[in-house]
Amino acid sequence: MSRFLFAVPPLAGHTLPTVALGEELARRGHEVAWAGHGEVCGPLLPDGATIYPAGDADWLAEVRDRSAGLRGAAAFQFLWAEFLIPLAEAMLPAVEAAIGEFAPDVVIADQQALAGAVAAQHRGLPWATSATTSAELADPFALMPKLGDWARGLLTSLQLKAGVSEAVDPRFSPHLIIAYTTEALTGPGLAAGDHVAFVGPSLGSRRNAAEFPYEWLDPSRRLVLVSLGTVSASSGDRFFAAALEALAPLDVQAVLVTDPARFPDVPPHVLVRPFVPQLELIARASAVVSHAGHNTVCEALAHGVPLVVAPIRDDQPIIAGQVADAGAGVRVRYGRVGAGELRSALVAVLGDPSYRTAAERVAASFRSAGGAAAAADRLEKLT
Amino acid sequence: MTTGQLATTGPVQDEPVLATVSRLVTEIIGEEYVLALDITLDTSFNADLEVESIEFVALAAKLREHYGERVDFVAFLAGKEVHEIIALHVGDLVTYIEQSLRDA
Repeated sequence: MSRFLFAVPPLAGHTLPTVALGEELARRGHEVAWAGHGEVCGPLLPDGATIYPAGDADWLAEVRDRSAGLRGAAAFQFLWAEFLIPLAEAMLPAVEAAIGEFAPDVVIADQQALAGAVAAQHRGLPWATSATTSAELADPFALMPKLGDWARGLLTSLQLKAGVSEAVDPRFSPHLIIAYTTEALTGPGLAAGDHVAFVGPSLGSRRNAAEFPYEWLDPSRRLVLVSLGTVSASSGDRFFAAALEALAPLDVQAVLVTDPARFPDVPPHVLVRPFVPQLELIARASAVVSHAGHNTVCEALAHGVPLVVAPIRDDQPIIAGQVADAGAGVRVRYGRVGAGELRSALVAVLGDPSYRTAAERVAASFRSAGGAAAAADRLEKLT
Repeated sequence: MTTGQLATTGPVQDEPVLATVSRLVTEIIGEEYVLALDITLDTSFNADLEVESIEFVALAAKLREHYGERVDFVAFLAGKEVHEIIALHVGDLVTYIEQSLRDA
């Protein structure tokens, strides 16, 4: 029996893959704990999970407000200077304390919970990278080397300040990188090696699944789910309005995940809900319209459901490109897409069976990749 | 700049640099998005055109196809700091191309 400590950032999408993995490790008799934001991560974790609180809710809300509307390189700069590095500095003492108290054999650090890798490195513990999204492995800024240099400079200073004698890149463990995807989706050519494990999505049952009026669903009609994820749900008014217009003449049912108060007047075949049981709805859906967040994309593809992807920023353009290149969906531009183009994209993924065939091909690759069990196998070898 | 010029595809002889850049950018991000926008020297790649970092790869290929070795867009981008990438405008690229063509 071994002890595994997860370090996760205060982002639901980055915490969820560790939940199924943590449950798998616990099933095998290992001790598991998390270091992360109590309010954001705590409710996502299994009942009775041990969490060492790290992070500040007020700071998080303020950062989220300031980041609204940023795109491209401006979003990249903000992500590193205003979110990842300050988050690492804020989490570091708590992660160090968690290591002291829990005495893990292995630390599993999300790529955006840099404090996990830095603290493990500082303590000389083996650590694995939990690569929630595969975009960091793809080097999106290959043509702009000074962006990567700048980010690596921030990472080096972070580690020197923390007392690490030999700075490494805390996004990439030399021991094990768990990537919750497969090459059927990413395509060939990602940074790889024997220490990169493509295990497919780590999906499991969700705690506190949102309530949903399942009786509203008409089994004889196709269902479209429209979701921009947890971060962008409140800033997507223009996009949701275009989606409503696109959906108006289509013979489908649609669920939009956003604040119902913003769209009080919708036709009877559309339901607006602030939260939904996403996995349950995806399992019944014929198409998903998404910002190309890695989890939503993988949840849809794991069910063989094709997508319309409208990437906003960060890793999303890369993931959207993967979906389009795999033939499992249509990519549109989030900032400017109109109802006509969105409708054409929806009609295409609903009507042309090649999209579903491609999505099912990715689903098959996910199933054979092994998911949380395959990740647990690799983690056990580190102890 | 008219939309007729924007819609043109294929090499155009003696086309002003701004028109070439507009045409190539339009090919990458899609005509339906650019029609609503008048691409000028003051158009921002990030804020206005929302060109993704990976789309710069496609722009580099198109510029090389059009101008050959005379314009090295990859070297141009490689020298840019984060704040310069964020603030990059169509005019910056046009100036660089004009300079490169004069020096060639």
